[in-house]
Amino acid sequence: MLTTIIFKEIHDNILNLRFIVGFILCVLLTLSCVMILTHDYRQEVKDYGTRISQVDDFLGKYAHRNRLYPLILPQKPPDAFRPLMVGIPRDADLGSFDDNPLPAIFPPLDLMFIVTIIMSLLAILFSYDAVSGERESGTLKLISSNSVSRASILVGKWVGGTISLLIPFLFSVLAGGLYIAIQPDLPWDTSAWLSFVMLVLASVTFISVFYLLGLFVSAVTRSAAVSILSSIFLWVLLVLVLPNLSPFLAAQLKRIPSVNKVNREVFHLTQEERDEVGRKLSQQVRDKYQKQYGKPFEDYLALAENEIRARVSADPQLMAMHESFRKEVDQAWEEANRIQGEKARKIQEDLKLKAESQTRLARQLACLSPYADYAFTATDISGTGMRSLRYFEGITEEYSGVLWDYLQKKEVAAKARDPLFDENSFIDLGDRPRFEYREEPLRARLKGVLPYWGVLLVFNCIFFAGAFVAFIRYDVR
Amino acid sequence: MLGTIIRKEIQENLFSYRFLVITLLTVVLVFTSLLVMYRDYQLRLENYELLRPTSSQPVAIIPPSPLSIFINGLDANLGRGYEIRFGGTIMVGSKQQSVNTLFRMFTTPDLLYVVKAVMALCALLFAFNAISGEKESGTIRLLLANRLGRTELLIGKWIGGFASLAVPFVLLVLVGTVLVTLSPQVQFGPDEWLRLSLLLAAALVYLAVFYSLGVCISALCRRSASALVISLFTWAVLVFVIPNLGNIFARQLVEVPSVQSLEIRRQVIWIKEIFEFIHGQTRSREEIQKRMATINSENDRLIADYRGLFNSLVDKTKEISRISPAAAYTFLATDLAGTGLLEERRAKQAVLEYKNLVWDKPTDSSGKIEGDFSAFSYQRSSLREIMAQGGLINLAILLLFNTIAFSAAYVAFLRYDVR
Repeated sequence: MLTTIIFKEIHDNILNLRFIVGFILCVLLTLSCVMILTHDYRQEVKDYGTRISQVDDFLGKYAHRNRLYPLILPQKPPDAFRPLMVGIPRDADLGSFDDNPLPAIFPPLDLMFIVTIIMSLLAILFSYDAVSGERESGTLKLISSNSVSRASILVGKWVGGTISLLIPFLFSVLAGGLYIAIQPDLPWDTSAWLSFVMLVLASVTFISVFYLLGLFVSAVTRSAAVSILSSIFLWVLLVLVLPNLSPFLAAQLKRIPSVNKVNREVFHLTQEERDEVGRKLSQQVRDKYQKQYGKPFEDYLALAENEIRARVSADPQLMAMHESFRKEVDQAWEEANRIQGEKARKIQEDLKLKAESQTRLARQLACLSPYADYAFTATDISGTGMRSLRYFEGITEEYSGVLWDYLQKKEVAAKARDPLFDENSFIDLGDRPRFEYREEPLRARLKGVLPYWGVLLVFNCIFFAGAFVAFIRYDVR
Repeated sequence: MLGTIIRKEIQENLFSYRFLVITLLTVVLVFTSLLVMYRDYQLRLENYELLRPTSSQPVAIIPPSPLSIFINGLDANLGRGYEIRFGGTIMVGSKQQSVNTLFRMFTTPDLLYVVKAVMALCALLFAFNAISGEKESGTIRLLLANRLGRTELLIGKWIGGFASLAVPFVLLVLVGTVLVTLSPQVQFGPDEWLRLSLLLAAALVYLAVFYSLGVCISALCRRSASALVISLFTWAVLVFVIPNLGNIFARQLVEVPSVQSLEIRRQVIWIKEIFEFIHGQTRSREEIQKRMATINSENDRLIADYRGLFNSLVDKTKEISRISPAAAYTFLATDLAGTGLLEERRAKQAVLEYKNLVWDKPTDSSGKIEGDFSAFSYQRSSLREIMAQGGLINLAILLLFNTIAFSAAYVAFLRYDVR
């Protein structure tokens, strides 16, 4: 009996105008999105390549210890999922003079939009009259008069409705996937395709939430006109309002110190005040040498850099003094860096903790909306969201450690070769360990999104239970 | 007769469930949006007060505009501090929101968003069964059996229906505005009030487009269920698809280098000059000034190249996305509030001019330039400028959409089979 109801439901839906309009719109949108975004992805890949070679060329000529960062830090390559998911716009908030203002006005259009707006609207349009509409047309009375339980009617409607919803969705996603598969320059490996499957599954979970929401509303209202308005009302609140409010609410509930002020303070501590401390400490070293060596030291200080080079290599005694003096001055500056760095780290740490707790609250608030749960799940599975940004920060730090060790060794070797080597001398970094970006393994990403995916499932259960109870009590006359 | 129809339409609406739901939604949205954005404005104002430069700091910073409570736009972007440093490099302060990535994932729920997305949807929900619904219930046949022209009926329905949407909205926004202006931090002069009323007028013109469109769809459909489906998808296409797709599509036409690559080039410029200076023969004051001048002029060239490309990207985006009333309205509203792309372009130009004024002062060892600086002063564009630079065109586009949608509705209704 259940299968009959499912088939009847699918049959009903497919012949309906909403199915045809939804189908055409979904396919057209997905394909045009994927095509445009693929082009965008290619531009990004090109830009990324130029950036890498630019940095390489530059370091080949001008690399020196004093001014290596941030040029030597790794850059995130374009995301493989870019043709489907834009996620967090990259160049909108880099703290550059030229930050791109366009994403703030027009958020980009991607698969996320198609699922969250088009498919969820379609889901509501499919289910809002499933109960109340059938009551109005009288067919509900006829079905119930047969020997079929209300539970199987409801389950049949849900399964049938979701299947008919999935036809346009899966068709367009497959078309999009096929387009990606036939592009020779889109390197999707097995793990990417697995993520793709997971993404589709998560989307199905999300779409089903809204089908059940419509079904629930339909089962508590008497007429289809009332149920569509109520469903859209809830849809607007859950999709358009709640997620967008959450970061603002969190920012007002959990205040953080002014980011600019902290940055300025850090800059002051690590630059201006550092220089002061460094100068004081190196002055002490100078005084010490003045006392020890007297006049020769004074003469030595008056020399210009290229004169020192000539004189030092000729005179071993001067060379010894030069080396130990330089070393102690370096140590003095290092000490200054350490003292000031400690101070700066403290305020930065404080800001970071507070900002994290604000972000956490914003996430928790946003989780009340299935839209946000889906957004977190989808962007994190596809590696275009907050998780991937954090992951990148992590591996950047790791790489910095490797790089630091390498530089340290390089410097020791260079100093052994040339006693005059300092942080302003050119160093050849041609053999430095290169940064290779590897995406976080799918398993870890999936583990991370489970809570959000779980909330989506909970929404499914709640709305199904609500629809079930309401439908059991429904007066079919 | 027209009066009777309008009255009938309004009465019918007033007692409908739809009116209740939509008005409730409007109340919730207008008040939460204004409250949240007002608090956000306060935060930005506090931040601005903290960062206000003294006369020894060459910092350009623009205070937040109180109109950003209504139309947030790019105000947070505009209000970052720009510190001028050695060689004319500009160090940009971070936005307060930059530490919370969630801000970048979701849209700002300001009044612009409420009107653009939610109120437009409400307008369609008010209109979708204006004609097809009355046909289904059979009342339109009865109405037209009287001595009543279709023109009169349509106009009456239009006015009555639109009034039931617009009047609560306008009243709520006015109440919200009065509440917001009670705060001493929000001081509106006559200019702001004028802009605010223009903003409200623009919102009504925009909503009228969607209302007429809804009536038109209703007059093209035999059943109100079909009209609803088509209305909802039309809404999604006009409000989200065209503007957002137009933005990424424009990037195919104008290739703009990424901000990241620009930053790299900037780093490269100054490191190269400093490196060559350190290893050069002379280390005189003139030499360093010469190097600084090179850094400044190279940076200028970089910015000029980039901004030329970027501006043409913005223009292309505008051209393409304007085929949707939502985009035309967004441009008009953000520009009117002084938080739009127009203002962004102008403010950056002003910062660059300020940089040219102060950059060649001597620097200390950390690269900070020293001296007494005249304060950076910036006036947001005047209404006249806004109107001349695209405002009037956007308004004209909205009016044109209105005319088209209404005439389409009129023609469709004239041909409508009311049986």
